[in-house]
Amino acid sequence: MRKYVLPLTVVCIISGFFLAFQLKVQTKSTNYDAVSQKNANLINVIQALEKEIENQENQIETMRNQLNEIQNQNNKGKLQDLQQEIIQAKINAGLTPVIGKGIIITLDDNKEGLLNAPNDDPNKYIIHYEHLLNLVNELKIGGAEAISINGQRLVTTSEIRCVGNLILINTTRIAPPFEVCAIGSPKLMVESISLGQLDLLKTAHYPVALAEKENLTIPAYKGELQFKYAIPQ
Amino acid sequence: MNKARRQIPITIVLLCLGIMLSLQFQAQTRIASDLTYQRSDTLIAMVRGLSEKRQKLALEIIDLSNQLRSQMESSRDEKKLLEGIHLEMEKLRIVNGTTALKGPGIMIIIEEHMPIIYTDLLNIINELWNAGAEAISINEHRITSHSTISVAEDAYSKDGYSIFMTVNHEKLTYPIIIKTIGEPNNLEKGLTLPGGIMDNLALFNAYPEIEKVDKLEIPALEKPTTYYFMTEYKPSEENKESTPPTTNPPGITNPLKTAIPR
Repeated sequence: MRKYVLPLTVVCIISGFFLAFQLKVQTKSTNYDAVSQKNANLINVIQALEKEIENQENQIETMRNQLNEIQNQNNKGKLQDLQQEIIQAKINAGLTPVIGKGIIITLDDNKEGLLNAPNDDPNKYIIHYEHLLNLVNELKIGGAEAISINGQRLVTTSEIRCVGNLILINTTRIAPPFEVCAIGSPKLMVESISLGQLDLLKTAHYPVALAEKENLTIPAYKGELQFKYAIPQ
Repeated sequence: MNKARRQIPITIVLLCLGIMLSLQFQAQTRIASDLTYQRSDTLIAMVRGLSEKRQKLALEIIDLSNQLRSQMESSRDEKKLLEGIHLEMEKLRIVNGTTALKGPGIMIIIEEHMPIIYTDLLNIINELWNAGAEAISINEHRITSHSTISVAEDAYSKDGYSIFMTVNHEKLTYPIIIKTIGEPNNLEKGLTLPGGIMDNLALFNAYPEIEKVDKLEIPALEKPTTYYFMTEYKPSEENKESTPPTTNPPGITNPLKTAIPR
């Protein structure tokens, strides 16, 4: 009988500690109750906005596709060159889906690391916007011709940022795991990120995967191109 | 015998422990990406960003409707078609950097003595796009979706070697001047927010100068982008169903309608 006492005590102490910690984590989130009504309203507004934006983007996608088709078919004399020019400019701007040789990089939060060190700062285990920003810059240095992250096509005015601990691209929320697709020379791109962000993430034990693809498709940008202040000279 | 009797309670306790551990882990990961666990100011920032985006999308839909209409009426009215194409082309030239631009905005000036590295430049540019920048140049190099910011070594330097920053693979000389066209106050606010990029740089004793300007001039891209790997993807070619639209363009009905209480 006495023989149980010591191991049981130890185990009970440990489990008690975990229980307390977990309670702490949970109460921390329920502590927001004071402002939770306000937050609930905000979340409703955000979800309604996201829904509406999704509809708008789908509508824009359909309309751009129709426009592309018409412009691809209009082969009338003097306008032909102009239509061709506009199609090339759209491909350049990221308004059409594109296909080509490229790579897919998959990144995820280091869940295992966080699991093994539950009391450590979680910030050391999650993917931050700066990781993505640097990775994208390095892909471009390696000659990437088109890039998307979780289906969000990166265009000139695209931003990669965080609000709280959410990552936003083109003002759209994206969640881990992150799938970064890039069309270009696989060799050059892999070389560029291997000397940089990819290896840094690997060294920090983030789960990272890299795959080469022969026919990689990258979706079109579905957002807006509205300019109010810039005027051609 | 004794040993076996001890194993049962210990197994149970360890099992409970494992379950608790995984539960706790779940609680922690949920915090990382769920809206429910965000602070009010985060949510407010999101609402603001999304509202702005919705409004711009609505304007884009109007543009596209007009565009579609003029394309479809092209057989009757060629002048209108040309006008439409011209407008569309203008937008594309701005985003592709193929035309020089002018407009109000801000100038950021970085001197040689400031401890600013290329990732800071990357962050500043990213922050500017986020704050509503319409066009950006760094030292007369136009920034587009293909622009790169990096460092390089100068092999021919007198002291053996020195490191300098590059934009679009061109060496940057000081002072580095970042020109941005957009709403000057918004652009400035985007950089100087508490805890923002300027606060961050101040930690390293770097204080770039920000200047609001009524009229800025931003040059066009030096050379056009060439593509070796990427081609347009046309899903319609695969399933051979490319029927041209014959109906009226969608979305002309009051695209500015709001569904959100203000």
